[in-house]
Amino acid sequence: MAASGAEPPCRCETLEVSAEAAAILLSFAMRESEAPAVEVGGALERLSRGLRPLEGGVVREALAQDIAACVRALQFHDRLIQQLAVIRNLLTRLTDHPLPQMAGFGALRWEELLTALRERLAEDSHHELFELLLRTGGVAPGAAAEQPDGTSELF
Amino acid sequence: MARILAVDDSPSMRQLVKLALSSGGHEVDVATDGVEALQAAEKQQFDVVITDVNMPNMDGISLVRELRRRSNYRFVPLLMLTTESTAERKQQGKAAGATGWLVKPFDPDRLLSIVSKVLT
Repeated sequence: MAASGAEPPCRCETLEVSAEAAAILLSFAMRESEAPAVEVGGALERLSRGLRPLEGGVVREALAQDIAACVRALQFHDRLIQQLAVIRNLLTRLTDHPLPQMAGFGALRWEELLTALRERLAEDSHHELFELLLRTGGVAPGAAAEQPDGTSELF
Repeated sequence: MARILAVDDSPSMRQLVKLALSSGGHEVDVATDGVEALQAAEKQQFDVVITDVNMPNMDGISLVRELRRRSNYRFVPLLMLTTESTAERKQQGKAAGATGWLVKPFDPDRLLSIVSKVLT
């Protein structure tokens, strides 16, 4: 059978296109999720304003606690958006700087790829996220010294 | 009651911080990044500034550094409210002049109690 005229794109090219498409899709998804989160925040604000003139009591206390729980829970949207932004930025950097030849994904080349990716990570949090995503040994060294979520420290 | 400036590039986080602080009787203004916050801080005096770290145009650590250069903000409590929790980043915040470091997600009552503490 005769081969068709156009050669199929190499794996590198298709990976770059996929990474770019993934970055764009992530941006859209992040933007789309913002309006509902703001809407929930606005509704909570109205509920809280409505509660203020009410006298203290069991029902009022319970509602105030529920609002506080919603305030805590809704912050995970912001955290998710930040993590997605890191991934989007990584994908964008991949398309800005072509990946090394990846055909075969042999062990040696995989390690080279990981090294190249790690060099492009700017912040500790990016490194930690990268390690978590790869599951290559969990959180980076020093993570145990970090503050857990929701903690505070006055200097 | 204090006049507080909350700085965050996330619209939902601005809302939540404002909601938490207003429920404690504070008057809250918001800014979307360090540049907007500096403009707001020059127009009026705030008793406390609560800022995110990672923001476009000007990040929270640069904002704290800039505010500390102004005589009217030299002793004003400046709190960082961020998902960043590494010792290195905290040290940068402290060196810039931050009063405290709060890791998101925040608890509304805890935030109010910290604001009361830094105001006394």
